Parts: sequence; structure tokens; C-alpha cells
Amino acid sequence: MTKPTLSRTIFWTTIAFLFLPLVVLMVFSFNEGRTMVWKGFSLKWYESLFGNQPRLWAAVVNTLIVAFTASTVATLIGTLGAIAINWYRFKAKSYVQALSFLPLILPEIIIGVSLLVFFRMLGMELNLFTIILAHISFTIPFVLLMVMARLGEFDYSIIEAARDLGANENQTLLKVILPISVPGILAGFITAFTLSLEDFVVTFFVTGSGSDTLPIYIYNQIKRKLPPEINAFSVVLIGATVFLLFFARRSIKYFVKT
Amino acid sequence: MKGSEVRVENADKKFGDFHALKNVSLTIGKGEFFSLLGPSGCGKTTLLRIIAGFEGLSSGAVYLDGKDVLPLPPNERHVNTVFQNYALFPHLSVFENIAFPLRLKKMDKAAIQEKVTQYLQLVHLVGQENKKPNQLSGGQKQRVAIARALINEPSVLLLDEPLSALDAKLRHQLLLDLDLIHDQIGITFIYVTHDQSEALSVSDRIAVMSEGRVLQIGTPFEIYEAPADSFVAKFIGETNILDGRITAHEGNLYTIDTDGVGPIQVTSDREFAVGARVRHAIRPEKIDITKEKPAGLPDDFTILHGKVAESIYSGFQSQFYVETVGSLQFKVYQQHESYIERGPAIRWTDEVYINWDADDGYIVELI
Amino acid sequence: MKSRSGTLYSLPLTVWISLFFLVPMAIVLLYSFLARETGGGVRWVFDLGAYAEIFKQTADGRFIYLDIVWYTLLMAVGATLLTILIALPCAYYIARAKNNTLLLFLVIIPFWVNFMIRIYAWVAILGQSGILNESLLALGILKDPIQFLFNDTAVLVVLVYTNLPFAILPLFTTIEKFDFGLLEAARDLGASHTRSLWSVLLPNIRGGIITAVLFTFIPIFGTFAVPDVMGNSNVFMLGQLITSKLKFTGDYPMASSLSVLILILSGVGLVVYTLYNNNQAKQRHVVIEEDTL
Repeated sequence: MTKPTLSRTIFWTTIAFLFLPLVVLMVFSFNEGRTMVWKGFSLKWYESLFGNQPRLWAAVVNTLIVAFTASTVATLIGTLGAIAINWYRFKAKSYVQALSFLPLILPEIIIGVSLLVFFRMLGMELNLFTIILAHISFTIPFVLLMVMARLGEFDYSIIEAARDLGANENQTLLKVILPISVPGILAGFITAFTLSLEDFVVTFFVTGSGSDTLPIYIYNQIKRKLPPEINAFSVVLIGATVFLLFFARRSIKYFVKT
Repeated sequence: MKGSEVRVENADKKFGDFHALKNVSLTIGKGEFFSLLGPSGCGKTTLLRIIAGFEGLSSGAVYLDGKDVLPLPPNERHVNTVFQNYALFPHLSVFENIAFPLRLKKMDKAAIQEKVTQYLQLVHLVGQENKKPNQLSGGQKQRVAIARALINEPSVLLLDEPLSALDAKLRHQLLLDLDLIHDQIGITFIYVTHDQSEALSVSDRIAVMSEGRVLQIGTPFEIYEAPADSFVAKFIGETNILDGRITAHEGNLYTIDTDGVGPIQVTSDREFAVGARVRHAIRPEKIDITKEKPAGLPDDFTILHGKVAESIYSGFQSQFYVETVGSLQFKVYQQHESYIERGPAIRWTDEVYINWDADDGYIVELI
Repeated sequence: MKSRSGTLYSLPLTVWISLFFLVPMAIVLLYSFLARETGGGVRWVFDLGAYAEIFKQTADGRFIYLDIVWYTLLMAVGATLLTILIALPCAYYIARAKNNTLLLFLVIIPFWVNFMIRIYAWVAILGQSGILNESLLALGILKDPIQFLFNDTAVLVVLVYTNLPFAILPLFTTIEKFDFGLLEAARDLGASHTRSLWSVLLPNIRGGIITAVLFTFIPIFGTFAVPDVMGNSNVFMLGQLITSKLKFTGDYPMASSLSVLILILSGVGLVVYTLYNNNQAKQRHVVIEEDTL
């Protein structure tokens, strides 16, 4: 079997390309100077980051609030919906199936525009609440995907068996369906959470002043000037993300084992 | 409470355009081991699921000890199912799977422990209770499914092809176990299968189904020796079919002229007119095969001359395909009851005579 | 089995998606057929102006809006092409490697970093005082810094950067299912390595390629953030046009009509994808049927 040398070169070059910006950020977060000229090692930007950037951290707090709230609600709605689509018959089924997965194929800008127009039409004020509503909306399809993937591994006869043995609808849901769905539910929650943290475009449309999330804040900063604290912050964020995801992966593994 | 009587009356079921059950009626007695036997798509599983409560009927009724069960959802019927693919709860241990129905009823811990242990003993799974389903073999999984279905003490146990996912030796063992359990517990068993040897070996009675209809209900002996029509005759065991016209009739002895092969004789309890065209069946094990023309046989024996077209040796038995006049092929089984020196006496391309007693043949139906 | 649980469990989902997908998009569709209210908003009068406006020409014959649409199309095609060209060999390499989970991880890790921060990083690299310039100046290759930002190339680079995983993953999934023994068979019959890849591998991963193309092209076509940051006003794509119309000019009908344009494109893409999948399923079905006869 011939070794794929050309593709190997392309692959590793691509990996370098993908990691390059991050490495640059990390290196220059320790830079003494303000610009991208190396002036010496320094932790001053980290100090400034943690001491001197209230608006940045306010944005972080907003982002977290939105992410937690939106993912929780999306997971609730999505999990129940996934169970219904996968294993039950109901009137609006084909409608729900078709519509639910639509956001996956649409560019985010369409979702942003439609929600903004909608909120405006209702006369709603744009703030964290509208952001949360928007985030729930575009993360639900992902929760559906994750939970349905998990449910698809099991045969419907399990539900029939539960009913056969005396369980009513409630008991079937709580004692059989939900326990076996846990890995999917978790995956859905984490996916929703991640997407919410990341989101720029949709948030950009439905945000009001004073309710900046992190991506919006950074965007505004880029447009005006580039404070070096952003470098340090990027590194902190990368570190936090890696840590969280590592932690999440271990918890998922734990749940999947049981 | 021992078994219940199950009565199906004029059951009709359509899935869209597909007519799954066509006016099926049958009664299963208390404590019977009753099999629904037929090929795929005959409606046997549909009927079972209707009795279990997973499907409804387009028209007709199902009674359990005289009470109409159709309005009841599955969790309210005193009927439990053993599924084809076991349907064990993957997140629960063996113990918890079996205990599941009891936990639903909020039985107390000690009582659950006692009862589950009792049923673990019944299915020979003591010691496995902490394992998860994915750590069990196919046979073990099925035993868990059986214990779980029985612990509720239902009055009817429904089994949906419970052995089809297992390999041959295991199937045989588990089938015998099921028979034993049935004897011990005494409730009604309704067993769905496409395997006629399974049905024949353990059933009290069998309903042979095809394309949504019940063709015959009877004991294994009746089904085998007196099939109601060609389908049943061909589906159960092996048989040789001869079509012909009745040329003579004396008492219960009929002479049939089968085109090409010549006259054969058969007895029947039913009345057939001379000149009627009938279908005749004779099972391979009832035909005797000899190298020389047999002498001294009673008059009502049918004797035919032919050539061995194929011979298959299976140790305890040889199967022969004998081609007679008119290019008819007869399947003949010969049991080797005693040691044969230097191999079987009858071989491929040998000229042979086959014969059978008129009582052993059977007129299946008019055609 | 009659069960009202299905309706109950699906209710929150049905309500939510009807309220927050269907209704808003219906409103957008509706608005595209209304007239514009000066100062923002709409007048409830049927008006095809928003669509007509798309074809508006200036005095010297330039189609201001169609130009933007065309430009966006070109950029999207270019970015998608580049992305797929890079993603294919990468996915191929990962699929053939022994530790593909690890390699996939490497591809995905950069994407755990916040989207905006990744874009910012490119500004830090390509900007006038960015690292590229500083390095070239320090090496003496340049005397004055060049503006690498705010042009097509910068936007293209970052578009490819942000969309690579969305192309690599579906391609990997399809290539992984491919039986590499077929390539050996082709070699055995005399084909060169390249020829076997071209004639045997590519046709069999068509499905994955189509998925990758769709999931790359459609988001890129509607992209806003990347051209806005990396291109400023020098690069002006459809996404920016819509944003400008909606947030700055308050021209709701036109923002809506342009959005409908994107919707139609996405719809076409979805139909193509579904038809392809159904076609594949039908072909498989025919084979299975023939077998059982």
C-alpha cells in the first residue's frame, strides 16, 4: 500500500495553518510591548486583563448566562421533541421534522434577520432576553440531532416491553427512555452550550446596547482598536475551553459506561 | 391464577392497503401451549401483537376469560410478551430488568429480592444478576426476558419467535426449557414461529397460518398426518404430492389414477366421488425402498418402479430422490436401524422399487 | 398503540419552531413584498419594489446590487473550491491513518477557540502592524508595511480557515467508509496511483463531496462577519449588504428580498442534496430486489 505522501504534506501544512493564529496569539500575549514586535517576556497584559477590564468580564458574564439558559431550555425542548419524533406518532410529525432541521442548512444571517424583524414587529426591546430566545432557536436542531442519534441505537421494542410489563407513559419516560438517552442529552447540551458561546452573527442582529456577549465585544474592539489584553484573554479562553472540554469528555465517558 | 382462555373472534386487520388478518377466529384453552405457525407475512406476529395490545383491530374482538381486552392498553392486560430481540433494558442489570415490573408496583425490597431470586432459579441464571445485558450471551438474554415476563404472573405468556436469533443447538435446549417452564407454571403460552419442527415438538395445538388466514388448527399429530390443504401439507414436514382422478372406491379404499404414474391406493375417512380430481400426499418416511420387487405385500399396497436420481447420506438416515415413470420424483427417507456393512445398500442410479401402505397416504383436498 | 405522549412531548418543539422559525421567516417573506417606510419599517402596501430594486442600475449602467450578488457568488465559489481542494487530501490522509481519532481531534481543536478570537488572530497576523509585516520588515524584505488586510485575499484566507472543519468532517466520514482495497485492485489492473484516486476513489465519495460542498458554500454565501472584519468596506458581500440595509438604512423590504434570495439558494441546495440521496437509495433498493429474486 503506497504511503500517501502528498496528502500527508497537505495535511500537516493545514494543521500548521489552523494552529498558526492561535500560537501567534499565545506568544504575543506574553509580549512586553504593545505591538507585534517582540520586546520581552511579560505578564503585564494578564495583570491588566484580570484587573482592568470590567466591560470584558461583563461580556463574559453575559455570554455565560445566555449559554447556560439557552442550552438548558434547548435541551429540554429538544430532548422531548427527539423522543417524540423517534418513537411516537403524532399529527404534526412530518412538519416538525422538516422544519426543525432547516436551521442547519440555512446561513446564520437568515436566522438573524428573521428574528430581528420578528422582535421588532412585536415591539420587543433587544436585550439579553432576545439573545437567549434566539440562541435557543438555533441550538434546538443540534440537540435534536444528538439525542436522536443516541435513541437510534435502540429498538422500539424496549418501549413496548416497558408498557407490556406494566409501565404507564410517565413511568416509561422516566424509568426507561430518559436513562438510556443520557449520553445523547449530555452531548446535546454541550453542543448547544458551545454553539451559544461561539455565536456572533445571530447575536449581532438581536443584541441591544449594554447586553454585549463576548463575540460582540471582541468585534467592537477589533473595529475600534486592538487592546493587547485581548491576546492574554484569548489565551485564558483557550485554556479554559480546553480544560472544560477535557472535563466534559471525561464526564461523558463516565455516563456512557453506565 | 393459572392460564386464561383466549378467544379471537372474526379478527380483521388492515395496515393501509395491506390486509394482514382476514377474519381470523380461534380459541386457545386455559394452560395450553398453543403455537401460531406460518411463513413470514402470514399475520402470526400481528395477531400476537394485537393480543398483547400493541396494535388494534380493524374489526373483530379478543376476549380473555370472556372479557373484552381491546379497550385496554398493554400495561393493563394480564398478558406479557417475550420479544424476538429480547428488548432488555440496556441500562439495567439482570436483576433490575427482572425486578422492573415489581418496582413499578412499588413492592418492598425484601419481597422483590425473594421473588427475583425465585425466577432467576427458574431460568437457571442465579449468579448472573449483576451483569448488564451487553455482557450476556444470546441464550442468557432470552432467559432474562422470559423471567421478566413471567414475574408479573400473567395468565397468558406471548412469545414472538423467541428462538430465531439463537443458533441451532441453543434453540433446541431453550425450547426444551420453555416446555419445562410451561409444565411448571401452567399458564397459557402462545408461541409464534415460522419453524414447524419447533411448533411440532412442544405445542399442545397449532394454528397454521398463511396470508392472514388460519388454514388449520389441530394437534401436532393432526396437522402432520391430516393436513387440511396443500399449503399445510407442504409447509409441515416433507411430503410427496400426487394429483389424480378417483377411478374406484370400495369402502374407505380409493384408487386414484395419477397421470403417468399409474394407479395408487389410499384410504380416507372422508367421502369422495368417483371421477373427482384430488390431491394426494405421502410422506417420505412412510415409503419403503427396496432393490428387488417386494413380494407378498397386501393388495392395498402401492408399488412403483424407479431409479435413484439422487441420494443423500446423513448418518442415521438416507434420503433418496427416486424418479419413476412419468418423470415424477419421490422423496424417500430410509432410517438405518442397523449397521450397514460396506456402506448403504442402495446407491445413486440404482433401479429400485418403492412401496407404501394405503393407510399411510392421505387425500388432502379436492382440486 | 394509541398514545397521546407523542403530541405532548412534541408540543414544546412544535410551538417553538413555529413561533421562532416559521413565523419570522414568513414575516421576512411578507416584508419583501411590502413598501418601505421612510425612517425604517414597512408600509402595509403591496409593492414589488424591493425585488425590482435588486436590478437597479446607475446612470452609467452598473448594476449596483447585482454586482454585489455576483461578487458574493464568485467569492463563495472560490472559497468553497479552495476549501474542498484542501479538505479532500486532508480527509483522505486522516481516513488512511491508523490513529484517525487523534488527527480529527487536531483538526477540531482550533475550533474550540471562540470564532471572533480566531478572526481577531488573523487581523493580528495580517494587519499593518501585524506579525507578518513586522517579520518581513525585520528581515529587511520590506521597507514599508503592506496592507495585507482589507482585500479579497484576506477574506478568502479567513473564509477557508473558518470553514475547513465543516468540509473535512463530512469528507472524512465518507472516505472512511470507502474500501481501499478497490484502489489496490485498480493498481493491480495497471492504473497509476493518481489515476486510481481519480477514477475509483472520487466517484465513490461523490455523496460526501456534495455534502461538504453544500455545507461550505451555503454558509459562505451568506457570510457576514469575516468580510466585515477582514475586508472592511473594501470587500462587500451579500451578508454585509443585508446587514447594512437592515441595521443602518432601515430598508426592511429590501433586506427581506435579499434574504429571500439566499433562502431560495439554500432551498435549491437542499433539494439537490435530497434528490441525490433519494436517487442513491433507489439504486440500492433495485440491487437488493434483484438479489432476492
